[in-house]
Amino acid sequence: MRQEKKEDLEPTSYERVVFKNASDYHYLKIHLDCEEEVRLNDAHFKQLIISALKDLHGEVGASLPFDVLKFDEKSLSAILRVYSSGLVKLWSALTLLGSYHGKRCAFRVEQVSPFLLSLAGNSRELVLD
Amino acid sequence: MWETLKKCPRHLLVCEKSSFKSTNSRHSIHVQQHYFNYRVSVLIPECSALPQKLDSIVKDFGSYYLVKDVPLHKLVCEEFITTFLSKGSFYALSCSTRIDQDNAAALLPTGKLIISVDKDTYEELGLEGQSSRYSHKTPMRYVISMDLTASSFAPGGNRYKRVMWALAEKKPLKFDFLMAWNPSDDRRANLISYFSAYQLKEYQPSVAIKTLKDIECPVLQSSDLRATSAESCDAQEFFDWQGVVFNEIESENDSGNFLSTYCCPDPNIVVDQATLCTITGFILPEKIHLLLESLCHYFTEPKLTPWAVLAVHGFADSPVTWREDEHGFHKGGENLYSFVVFRNHDYWLQMAVGANDGCPP
Repeated sequence: MRQEKKEDLEPTSYERVVFKNASDYHYLKIHLDCEEEVRLNDAHFKQLIISALKDLHGEVGASLPFDVLKFDEKSLSAILRVYSSGLVKLWSALTLLGSYHGKRCAFRVEQVSPFLLSLAGNSRELVLD
Repeated sequence: MWETLKKCPRHLLVCEKSSFKSTNSRHSIHVQQHYFNYRVSVLIPECSALPQKLDSIVKDFGSYYLVKDVPLHKLVCEEFITTFLSKGSFYALSCSTRIDQDNAAALLPTGKLIISVDKDTYEELGLEGQSSRYSHKTPMRYVISMDLTASSFAPGGNRYKRVMWALAEKKPLKFDFLMAWNPSDDRRANLISYFSAYQLKEYQPSVAIKTLKDIECPVLQSSDLRATSAESCDAQEFFDWQGVVFNEIESENDSGNFLSTYCCPDPNIVVDQATLCTITGFILPEKIHLLLESLCHYFTEPKLTPWAVLAVHGFADSPVTWREDEHGFHKGGENLYSFVVFRNHDYWLQMAVGANDGCPP
């Protein structure tokens, strides 16, 4: 167990800091909607998004760095992280992707936020019978 | 053109640090004034199961109700005010209404009714309100606010008659409402019998408890919000990390990983196990306050972990965030906060809002 430092035992003083536009990243919760059954692993999923970026924004657009933080193979849903300056490029590329290997598909962007924690609770998903 | 598109809407993260032992601590006020809560999550590192006291609070969160097609004037009538508003805290929020597209309504426990309507509805309704703070040149959304417990709103008075006429005859508005009631005494009226003429169903908040294994946890110093030394992580990094844990995302990525380069902020330690408890539903601030107090009490006995986290998500389509501050939905309707409770009874409070929100109090 870590030994308590003397300063830890004394109550801390009040401090308030307001960060405006502090998040460098935006996070997107998306899922791939396909007419026919499609099997994709996480690497293929990312490659699909890269090809969507290339189709719309060219080679420079395809070099936009983004992360696939989480991917679910069953539901084809994922959480992406992208620099805030690249959000519009990424989101537009996702919107305009129409097919995968000749099969019609579409990306549905369910939630976008500069805070990853926000993606852990979306009240619009609340379904009551 | 691309330079303009690189800009993102404004968002705010407010970080406060204080101590539960301080008489000026405002943690209770912050919890109580955030009225509409959708999800509460608790993370306790170095813990394999939820502590007994927390477990009993979680199991006794109380019911909430979905009541369909309730005319809004039913929440304004004299009988409702005397039965419920004067005898406890009543919470009501319109369900399945999108704050950026539809009309929405909310009844706060302070007795204030907030109605957020589009331009056409506002003009037809004929009640006095204000244009939304987040309207542009042409206001397309208006907010009508009325204090149902004020003396100026006494039944039989001119204002009361005007409101009843507008809501019952001029432009009848109906909503599906999520409702919960916290009576102040034992002689409680029955919400179910009062709304028996409508389709009503009772729900319990859903609870999910999970044990996470081998997770990297940032090292924090309660007195150092900005991590001025390299010995701990700052509040912003920790807030991002909370998103990783609550979304159950892997954080062990090396810089050459094709999929993700996210890494846990340094310095960090690997914890064998942690308990993650998530409660989802229409959750009252009173219950969240109980959870917070219990989490604080958890550290009265020696514990391995130096901190635990309580995170609360607000409803994205609520007309208000904290107090009566207007809430809007731009690209997202985030209004959330989290408490980091430290072993020495210090705490960090982090409140996050999106573009169409004012700064949290």
